[in-house]
Amino acid sequence: MGRVRSKSGGRVEADELLVQVAAGDQRAFEELYGLVSGPVFGLVRRVVRDPAQSEEVSQEVLLEMWRSAARFDPGRGSALSWVLTLAHRRAVDRVRSARAAGEREQREARRSHHPAFDQVTEEVEAGLERQLVRRCLDRLTALQRQSVTLAYYDGYTYREVAERLSLPLGTVKTRMRDGLTRLRDCLGGVA
Amino acid sequence: MSILARLFGRGDPHSLAAPYALDALEPDERRQFEKHLRGCDRCAEEVRAMTEDAVRLAWSTVAQPPLAMRDRVLAAVRQTPQEPGPLREHVREPQAREYTPRLPAHVWGTQPQASRARAPQRRPFFVPFATATATAALVVASLFAVQANQTQDKLNAEQAQSREIAHVLAAPDARATTGADSAGRSIGVIASASEGRAVVTLSGYGAPPSGRVRQLWLMRPDVQPRSLGLFKDDTPLVTTGLDKTATSLAVTVEPDGGSAQPTTQPVVQLALKSVGFGE
Repeated sequence: MGRVRSKSGGRVEADELLVQVAAGDQRAFEELYGLVSGPVFGLVRRVVRDPAQSEEVSQEVLLEMWRSAARFDPGRGSALSWVLTLAHRRAVDRVRSARAAGEREQREARRSHHPAFDQVTEEVEAGLERQLVRRCLDRLTALQRQSVTLAYYDGYTYREVAERLSLPLGTVKTRMRDGLTRLRDCLGGVA
Repeated sequence: MSILARLFGRGDPHSLAAPYALDALEPDERRQFEKHLRGCDRCAEEVRAMTEDAVRLAWSTVAQPPLAMRDRVLAAVRQTPQEPGPLREHVREPQAREYTPRLPAHVWGTQPQASRARAPQRRPFFVPFATATATAALVVASLFAVQANQTQDKLNAEQAQSREIAHVLAAPDARATTGADSAGRSIGVIASASEGRAVVTLSGYGAPPSGRVRQLWLMRPDVQPRSLGLFKDDTPLVTTGLDKTATSLAVTVEPDGGSAQPTTQPVVQLALKSVGFGE
């Protein structure tokens, strides 16, 4: 689209586009779709795993981005954070209801073929950020890393995480907090 | 606080900030914690920072979505009304203050503020179509938060409609198509053949002549047209019970209250083959 897509520029641009979307601008939505659909779909698929369901959840999230764009306030965070927060919550809701519906075992079986970062086929270039996140995750202690990733990437509640890691609840909460804090230090303040 | 509560880790609500930012609380705890957040600026700030941290974990997961998804989302966007944004428009009015979410990143925009007394009961999360219905319910609940002057009936109708739209969208075979005439007026449909449901929108037609309504018809080969309902203003029409033999939709202008059979020529007609009908 002839727009500069520098890393930070992309985020500022997304903020502006979302404000235009809130004013009913469909072309701004199309452009914003180009910027956020990859992150949204990637995150949802990481959590939900099933391709068809991931697509369904992503669609709902992106449509919700259109419907409730007016609730975005650029003063409180970036557009990308806003939509990814929404996407994560929807994905987690979906994966939990799927688990509750008894698909859990099937999912577990599939998971055993997936190393922690095994990301799927066609990925767009987010190489540097991807590497940075991985490197920073590697710097956490094993328990910090597992507590954070089981919750964020796999959609487990902290109670479930405690159960899986055979840790007391209090310990898991602390590991999550410490893990996030260390990640922040490692990734730097550029949000 | 009892030792038991401490043992179970329910002690200090502040300790839930990290699990909350990671979406790792159960629904009950999530609600309780959000209640706590409203009265605790320090925690709200902390949660906001942690939510930003958590979001950065998403950066390692970017993936290209299927191309067809783009068409579906854009088609849906063309037919989906937006929530009004009185938050910003009225921000200078004193009473708008109380509607301005003071909540952290995680809550603002994803969670309506504790309802102005009339918000509907939150729907349970663990039901079939949980995500679709929860999405619709959240969207609608947020309307309550900002549109306290709307009538209950109107909002109930909007809620039911949002649910219907979300339901159609959630169908695995949901597809969209639109048709426009030379004057730029258009009809759009999102339909699921397996569910026999469709959401139909008209745009650009303006209000019908006084004493008249626009009526939607289902056309099938060798069968009389069947009425699918009357359009009210710009509101999308949600239809159910479409069978696979349906070949097209047509809209006619009829006397108030509608007709048993079309009495005028269609103002617009749209083939349904591309959305999986007409077998």
